[in-house]
Amino acid sequence: MSVRVDPSVQAELTHYGGDTAVKCFNCGNCTAACALTDQDAVFPRRYIRYIQLGLREKMLGSLDPWLCYYCGDCSDTCPREAQPGKLMMAGRRWLISMYDWTGISRLMYRSPRWEASFIAIVALAVLALFTLPSDFGYGLLAAHPEARESVNLAYFAPKDVVHRWDNVLGLVLGALLLSNAGRMVYRVSRQGPPVPLSCYLSELGVMIVQGLTQIRWRGCATGARKHWLRHFFLVTSYVSMFALVMIFLHWFQVEDTGFHWTAYIGYYATAVLLVTTGWIIIDRLRKREQIHKESDLTDWAFVGLLFLTGLSGILLHIARLLDMPMTTYALYTAHLMIDVPLLVLQVPFGKWSHILYRPLALYLLAARRRAESRRPAGVIEGSPLPVRS
Amino acid sequence: MAEIKQEYDGLVLGAGIAGMQAALDLAGQGFDVLLVERAPSIGGVMVGLNKVFPTLDCSSCICTPRMAEVAHHERITLLTYTELKHLERTARGFSVTLVKKPRYVVEEDCIGCAKCELACNVVVPHEFDYGLGAHAAVYIPHGNAIPQVAVLDPQYCMFDGACARACPTDCIDFTQQPEEINVQAGAVILATGLKLVPLDVKKEYGGGKYVNVMNPLAMERLQSPNGPYGHVMRPSDGKIPRSIAYVQCAGSRDKSIGVPYCSRICCMYALKQGIMIRQHLPETEVTIYHMDIRAFGKGYEQFYRRAVGEGIRVVKAKVARITEEPNKDLKLRVELIDEGGRVAEIRHDLVVLSQGVIPGWKPDGAAPVRIDEDGFFLIPEMAARPANSSHEGVFVAGVATGPKDIPDAIVEAGAAAMEAAMYLGRSQARAGGVQ
Repeated sequence: MSVRVDPSVQAELTHYGGDTAVKCFNCGNCTAACALTDQDAVFPRRYIRYIQLGLREKMLGSLDPWLCYYCGDCSDTCPREAQPGKLMMAGRRWLISMYDWTGISRLMYRSPRWEASFIAIVALAVLALFTLPSDFGYGLLAAHPEARESVNLAYFAPKDVVHRWDNVLGLVLGALLLSNAGRMVYRVSRQGPPVPLSCYLSELGVMIVQGLTQIRWRGCATGARKHWLRHFFLVTSYVSMFALVMIFLHWFQVEDTGFHWTAYIGYYATAVLLVTTGWIIIDRLRKREQIHKESDLTDWAFVGLLFLTGLSGILLHIARLLDMPMTTYALYTAHLMIDVPLLVLQVPFGKWSHILYRPLALYLLAARRRAESRRPAGVIEGSPLPVRS
Repeated sequence: MAEIKQEYDGLVLGAGIAGMQAALDLAGQGFDVLLVERAPSIGGVMVGLNKVFPTLDCSSCICTPRMAEVAHHERITLLTYTELKHLERTARGFSVTLVKKPRYVVEEDCIGCAKCELACNVVVPHEFDYGLGAHAAVYIPHGNAIPQVAVLDPQYCMFDGACARACPTDCIDFTQQPEEINVQAGAVILATGLKLVPLDVKKEYGGGKYVNVMNPLAMERLQSPNGPYGHVMRPSDGKIPRSIAYVQCAGSRDKSIGVPYCSRICCMYALKQGIMIRQHLPETEVTIYHMDIRAFGKGYEQFYRRAVGEGIRVVKAKVARITEEPNKDLKLRVELIDEGGRVAEIRHDLVVLSQGVIPGWKPDGAAPVRIDEDGFFLIPEMAARPANSSHEGVFVAGVATGPKDIPDAIVEAGAAAMEAAMYLGRSQARAGGVQ
């Protein structure tokens, strides 16, 4: 099998935070050090080899980066300080950019300036929505001076309007993410022998279990308990908040100074969100564990905006209960100016897309393994290492 | 102990193979040499080895004649159990301050009968056998030790006087104190040798924790005819190992522990030990896990091929982790790169860590020489004058300048002696005192 070597890939990866592939001398320490590797899930070395040789097709069709949770054991013991864990991280960023057909992800990951601009553009669009003359936001408020005296969100952000646009936004973002994931499935399916549909169907459970629990993470040797638990609670936090906003907004958004019991769910979600993201921010500043050593703007934007979303949300709630109308409206605007860019940019184009890519990768791996187990023994479908003749 | 003179032409620090060779080569040209050794016996690492590669010659048979020669050379004065305290340049050469550690045995009177050792009631892990055997608190370092003089270890001694009562020459002296010795030397050769990185430097290998994870020099002792057991047995239960693994680069070529360089000798001694094991235990499998085999010297590649031909298994895989089974067997986790990148856990009875080589001694201000970033002595003109240190009149030889094998150390010792001789000739001519 011939291989076309493409040295530009290594240079390309440096834009995604992976500048150490050149140091690797392929000893395989990382793969064996990893507690998660087994059978055909052998990373990081294999993927680093792809990077070194510039095998784009192999990289695009590889599940390896998604199988890694960055415990850092490989980076701690790498004899070349090639930081395999960081290269897996860069691999995930690169794959997110490559699967995203709009090119927005590429711009965001490669350039902090673009990332900041995108966040600013979406935030300003939200601001415009509230401030430009219309029958929404401050435009609506102008027509109802009594709402300036006492909080009444019905005259600032009527919940049926908000709910409608919530759902539209959700559908658009979901469709974008799904279309990107479709490209991933296509790329992955091009590598290796075909997997029958029945295998995909019988492994659907993997997708659901991993998507809900990320339980595979528990298999990491270092820091798994802490990181998994923290992540799991963070997930329960935003999933409950997501349900409140997307489905139960009618009850959750109380328009006057009243109180509805759904606020208790909101308290839980907010408390967990602030504690977990605050803790992550502290860990990322301390840089003690490998997983926290390398933070670029995309990481900071993700965790920072999550924290600010929670903070602005709870302040908004307090201002409403205290009947501080103008503060409430301003905080409502601010809350959405933080939250909407976070969702719009991170879910389909950024770090949050792992919500789908990770379980999908494990699902595709499980389906492939099932197909292999059905294949008659003695048939060898090519060598897993492309460089061997 | 011979009479210590006030003045010597050459001071050689370290009496391993390089230091002994340098002393012999300098003394052979008519210079008076003071040879100083930190340990109670001369011989260094080499005297503890079983065979040398690639010829499989007996190591002691090469080393002990040199030990005897330096001990009996009329122009060499030997000072064992002595450390350098300070070395300073003066108008006439070097002013040297040495500290002779107390043996608690009068060296001149001891006849090496070992009666004290037999009388002693204390059992101490044998340093020369890397803890595999034992000796008493007062002991002759080992069978080939020179001088054949006992040394008492006050750390373990119970001071019950059993040895003193047993000694026929009444040479046990509990009152000895460290003794400072001041001499002048015209030139200095540093041949301070090597240490291995600590056995537990890579925690994931369990060295120091798992009893069947061994030091390669301990394996040399196991294989030596005068070793602790006289046979290769694993330490935990005395079982004859049927499967032995060598973990290469266990502390060299590894930036994560700060030893980025290659220790050069490990590939060859692993192959050599493998060949020796299979000569004695043909049914024992030997597997060498390596990043690549570096058989760099004359006849070394052939030696490597021979080892493979004799059934040594050579596997390209960096061992990432070792775990111990309840029966003290060991499991090695590796990526089998040549088998498509399969991750495997492979069981072995005994594991030898090919530990990296680091400098045996650091001057820390005791000698005016600079060290390189790898910790070995700096050689300013590596290509042109490989035996010259950063300081005029101080020459270096052997592993003290970087990892190397025995032939290279001997060659370098000769070069250092030659450089020292020329330097002495020049300075004596300058002083108008040509003899």
